[in-house]
Amino acid sequence: MSDLMSLLSLGSAALSAANNGVAVATNNAANANTVGYSRQTVSFESNLLGGVTTGATGRDASNLLQTRIRASTGSLANSSQTQASISDLEDTLTSGTGLDSQLSTLFSKISQASASPTDSSLRDGVVAATRDLVLGINNRAAQIASARKDADARVYDNVPQASQLAQQLADANAIVAKSGDPAAMDHREQIAKQLTSLVGGTARIDPDGNMRFVLDGGSVLVDGLHAAKMQTAPDPTTGYLTAQVVDGGVTRDVSSQLGGSIGADITFRDTTAKKTADQLDQLAYDTATAFNTQHAANAALDGTTGNLMFVAPTAVSGAAAALTIDPTLDSNSNKLALASAGGLPGDNTGGLALFALATTKNAVGGTKTLTDAALAVVGDLGSTGAVAKSDMDRDQLVSDHLDGLRDSLSGVDTQEELTNLARFQNASSAVTKFVSTINDMLTNLIDKL
Amino acid sequence: MRVTDHRIVDISAAATQRNQSAVADVTQQLSSGLRVSKPSDDPAAWIAAQREKVRAALNDGTSEAIQVGSERLTQTDGVLSTLAGIVSQARELAVEGSNDTQSATSRSDIGAQLSSLFDAAVAAANTTDPNGEYLLAGSKSLTQPFDSTTGVYSGDSATRGVNTDTTSTQIATTAGSNLTATNGVDVLPLLKTLATAMNANDPVTVRAALGDLDTAVKQISQVRGQTGAHMAVLDSAKAAHTALATQIQTAISDNVEIDAVSAASQLAKASQALTVSQAVTSHVLQLLNPAK
Repeated sequence: MSDLMSLLSLGSAALSAANNGVAVATNNAANANTVGYSRQTVSFESNLLGGVTTGATGRDASNLLQTRIRASTGSLANSSQTQASISDLEDTLTSGTGLDSQLSTLFSKISQASASPTDSSLRDGVVAATRDLVLGINNRAAQIASARKDADARVYDNVPQASQLAQQLADANAIVAKSGDPAAMDHREQIAKQLTSLVGGTARIDPDGNMRFVLDGGSVLVDGLHAAKMQTAPDPTTGYLTAQVVDGGVTRDVSSQLGGSIGADITFRDTTAKKTADQLDQLAYDTATAFNTQHAANAALDGTTGNLMFVAPTAVSGAAAALTIDPTLDSNSNKLALASAGGLPGDNTGGLALFALATTKNAVGGTKTLTDAALAVVGDLGSTGAVAKSDMDRDQLVSDHLDGLRDSLSGVDTQEELTNLARFQNASSAVTKFVSTINDMLTNLIDKL
Repeated sequence: MRVTDHRIVDISAAATQRNQSAVADVTQQLSSGLRVSKPSDDPAAWIAAQREKVRAALNDGTSEAIQVGSERLTQTDGVLSTLAGIVSQARELAVEGSNDTQSATSRSDIGAQLSSLFDAAVAAANTTDPNGEYLLAGSKSLTQPFDSTTGVYSGDSATRGVNTDTTSTQIATTAGSNLTATNGVDVLPLLKTLATAMNANDPVTVRAALGDLDTAVKQISQVRGQTGAHMAVLDSAKAAHTALATQIQTAISDNVEIDAVSAASQLAKASQALTVSQAVTSHVLQLLNPAK
């Protein structure tokens, strides 16, 4: 009698184990499309005295692989954002007539006017081309400034988000420590990925099971259950935002330590777009200086010298935005100086000297012609954009490869889960039959007593 | 390696996406005709093409300048041709008037004709271009160079160059100083002197002027020759510009434009790959359908 009862207990435990298996398989199938979900497993252990029990639900995941995936996520977010920002600016700067074209048009008009220096329509053509060039440089300066402001606005939006994610990561550490729930670990992993995507950095699992998050420069963002706060603050020198980590009353500027998309925006704003802005300023300064120097030495139609084509820039910095056509020339094309000093109206040697600026290396410290310098403004940006695209493609390949590896280890295969489900279901049916048989035996026994 | 059904779907979907993207890229290139539409597509090719466009713009500018210079020289040649005709006619009249058989009255009639020729010569020598510049005035191009009464030249000997390319210039004007004593004789005052002598019935002065008239004829011929040489140089530069424009267009095309045959072949390949990947995706989805 007691043996039959223990057999019933054994059957009950086996039924419970099979049900656990069904539950895990069902849960896996249910989460087949859940982003970041790691396949769960159930382990069966035989008891010394017979029967079976299930161990804790397992999670198929690799910390090493997750670490590589997080790093890849940060790199991909960084290169993607860099590529997008550069591509947008490049599209803007190359739309319409290029600066190199506007400059060459100006030279072309000067050449034409030089052939007939008293022709008012040709002189007007030179003034119009000068006006177009000024407008082109002004517009591009505004477009670059706008792109830098857009990047700054994204920093403003994303830094608080990173701060929230850091806090969520610390909270997730607490939940994992308390429950050890595989789903909580997956959730924590997803938060870490999002945080890495924003700020780069490294997350690792400490021996105590907590995830520690450190920025590339060494600043700790999350340590166990504690998260530092991230915030932005305006840089008084540039006027743009810096990213800061505030922890224990200490505030550190971490702008240069950030990777991910925020790091990409900061680099674009402070390095890539700034270089383009600086090149444009230099071009505007060099153009105005070169033309003014020659033009002032020439004689206008009224015989006067010292006339300018552009309002003389006071400094390289900001020269592009401030570039202006000389108001006297703007209103009177007779002030266009195409004769040499002391020359008569029919003299065009001053105009020929102006045209010669097309092939003279007057830009970037005498290393480039003005048109080559104009080409470099967009050309250098394009080269950086091509590298960024190449980086993004490489990061995407790495990311895809790691996703494949993760899926191989942690992904849910619905066919496999259906098979498992059938297996556990069959086991459950068999055990049910077994319990039913024992129950019948017990009933017979009791009836015969 | 364990491959989940999820992964198979991802792989086939990604392949379809990549192939769609390839088809879109080639279609875009075919519709725009451009392989490189912005610097990052191919920085070196883009910069090379833009440099060629700059050359083209400068070439256009100098072509216009050459055209202006060429037209000016053609007009100048016409003026010189007119002057040559006038001086030849004047010489014939001078020979006729120098004959001792001529009376004071007949010389006066010849003198009237010579005065008319002088006026015509002054008018021709003071011809302006369509912009109102005096062709033969040198750099004093807004001031009438030959005095209407005396024929004395008040312009200068300056010539005007035009750009034939970015580094060279060629002379595109002829100064009236070539028709003065610095180059032979003062042609127009000579005509005036002749007319005056003829009207004054002064055959001695008329005879003395015959030699100067011969010099004037040669002088004008020589100036025409110089003008013609300048025209020839500009014509040659014009031809070089036309050739350069073609060369520039070829260079631009080589750098940034598509090869239609190659692009069409790429489109066919990309389309084929897309069709295959779509079929594979469809097959995979059917295979993995749990409802089967």
